[in-house]
Amino acid sequence: MADVTLSDIRKSYGAVKTVHGVDLEIKDGEFVVLVGPSGCGKSTLLRMIAGLETITGGTLKISGRVVNDLDPKDRDIAMVFQSYALYPHMTVATNMGFSLEHRGTAKTEIAERVNWAAGILGLTDLLDRYPRQLSGGQRQRVAMGRAIVRNPQVFLFDEPLSNLDAKLRVVMRGEIKALHQKLKTTTIYVTHDQVEAMTMADRIVVLNAGRVEQIGAPLDLYDRPANQFVAGFIGSPSMNFLEGKITEAGFQTSGGVLPLPKLINTEMGQIAVYGIRPEHFRFSDHPRHASVPAEIVLIEPMGPETQVTMKFGETQVTGVFRERINGAPGEVIHVSPEVGSIHLFSEDGDTRLN
Amino acid sequence: MRADISPRAKVVLYGVMCVLLIPFVFPTWWMVTSSMKPISDIFAFPPQLVPQSYDWTTYSKVFELQPFVRQYWNSAYIAAVVTVGTMIISSMAGYAFARIRFPYANAIFMIVLLGLLIPSEVTIVPLFQMFLKAGMVNTHWPLILVPIFGAPSVFATFVMRQFFVTLPAELEEAARVDGLGRFKIFTRIALPLAKPALASVAIFTFLHSWNLFLEPIVFLSSAEMFTLPQALTQYTDAYGGPMWNIQLAAATLTALPVLIVFIIAQKQFVEGLAHTGLKG
Repeated sequence: MADVTLSDIRKSYGAVKTVHGVDLEIKDGEFVVLVGPSGCGKSTLLRMIAGLETITGGTLKISGRVVNDLDPKDRDIAMVFQSYALYPHMTVATNMGFSLEHRGTAKTEIAERVNWAAGILGLTDLLDRYPRQLSGGQRQRVAMGRAIVRNPQVFLFDEPLSNLDAKLRVVMRGEIKALHQKLKTTTIYVTHDQVEAMTMADRIVVLNAGRVEQIGAPLDLYDRPANQFVAGFIGSPSMNFLEGKITEAGFQTSGGVLPLPKLINTEMGQIAVYGIRPEHFRFSDHPRHASVPAEIVLIEPMGPETQVTMKFGETQVTGVFRERINGAPGEVIHVSPEVGSIHLFSEDGDTRLN
Repeated sequence: MRADISPRAKVVLYGVMCVLLIPFVFPTWWMVTSSMKPISDIFAFPPQLVPQSYDWTTYSKVFELQPFVRQYWNSAYIAAVVTVGTMIISSMAGYAFARIRFPYANAIFMIVLLGLLIPSEVTIVPLFQMFLKAGMVNTHWPLILVPIFGAPSVFATFVMRQFFVTLPAELEEAARVDGLGRFKIFTRIALPLAKPALASVAIFTFLHSWNLFLEPIVFLSSAEMFTLPQALTQYTDAYGGPMWNIQLAAATLTALPVLIVFIIAQKQFVEGLAHTGLKG
């Protein structure tokens, strides 16, 4: 187990800069998820930590040791790849024991460790099979087994669940989390799926265009996103954004005036972006205090809740309500945002104003 | 070919295949049957598709007239050395071109490929002079070195490169994380997975070496050193006319190992053809 410290890590391919100075301290035993849209540099960052990509600038330390120029094998890390990268010509047992065998570990110890890992991951009956004879979920487990037999200082996961179907993804998500709780090995996990990030991480690092947008615990990011990008990226369905002006009466939008939370560093008349999560609307079928009218565009009953797409002024917004809403497109309902759950961002979206 | 073709199409298909069978099978049939006939029966009219009388002495004469066993051995060991040598060189070169990033890799690969465009007839004279200076004429060295470092190996390198290009990069990255260096990645991961491509390289290289004709007649001058295709031309009578039945008996013996290999490795042959992208 180990700390991992990234100081001003940069990556360029010729003149193209893909990672612009990332600072991150990962504590021993922590589960950190790097999340962001495609091309944000999260996989590149992980591959730099693994030693599969050279580091253009900055310092990378694992357990206090600078590893910038070390080969992957000398960094004491194990990686689970998106495609699992199991050796097709080796059995499950050989795949799992391969790195130990290469390091000259005694055969009895290899067998012992492979059996131990297979026991943890439920692979004991599959040890003699070849990867082509396994299902997607089993292959995923073998890839994890290959990583844990070595007892490395750091686990790296590169979108390990993206090749699985939705149901299996949920199961494996739980298994990876349980495995981490059992082994307590420092883990860095890359995904583009914010649900995976929210459910698995101790801390989430949100990346965008090669820069860190925000680092924090999942619920901190959810409750207090630092900017409009994080606010929009974390949460599903994603946060609604309305453009308008800060006035004495409230937030003036094309659809009406919305209540404002307590603000910092703002001026009257300032243009801003008003953010509200779908579940933070309250529904009523008649006008109430601080409610605004919205025209129904689409109603999607989900069972436990109802998702309603509404038109508020010129802007389309989504609301998720506990109530079962009976209405037809074109009808007007009244919704009021919860004042305590409102997010206000500067016009360019870079700064939080409340 | 899908199994759900209509019966009528099937009849037409089998009909066409039967017709095509004639040009493919008849020469082999004629070679084998004629090798057992007295020479007068070979030219009999109407032609005897099935021999009327058998003359098995043709086969013993094959061995009497020339050191045929020795020549058989020459062909066999040269083909084996060339095949193994080409497999080693082409797999390493193909891997390097596919996986190692070095300056001008693509340009160098193109230059190497250009070697395929030069007919062997063009290079045979300078090669002869080169081997003459090296004192290697009338030895087997030219028949081993030219294919291993010449056009056949270039072709094999191309086949291997095309295979290694398709090998997922993540497999090698996983191997790097597992602690393997470049050479170990090649021998432990890439090479075992390249078996189908290696098999096609082996088959084509073996056949090429086994059938090699121009180079042996240029470089070899004594019967003891001859290879089979060259030896076949030596079954002539006092006037230089071919002794057909003996020559066909020798040809049958020459074709036999290739035929056996083909029957055993039919599947690999076809897959090999698919690998090379050639139509044969």
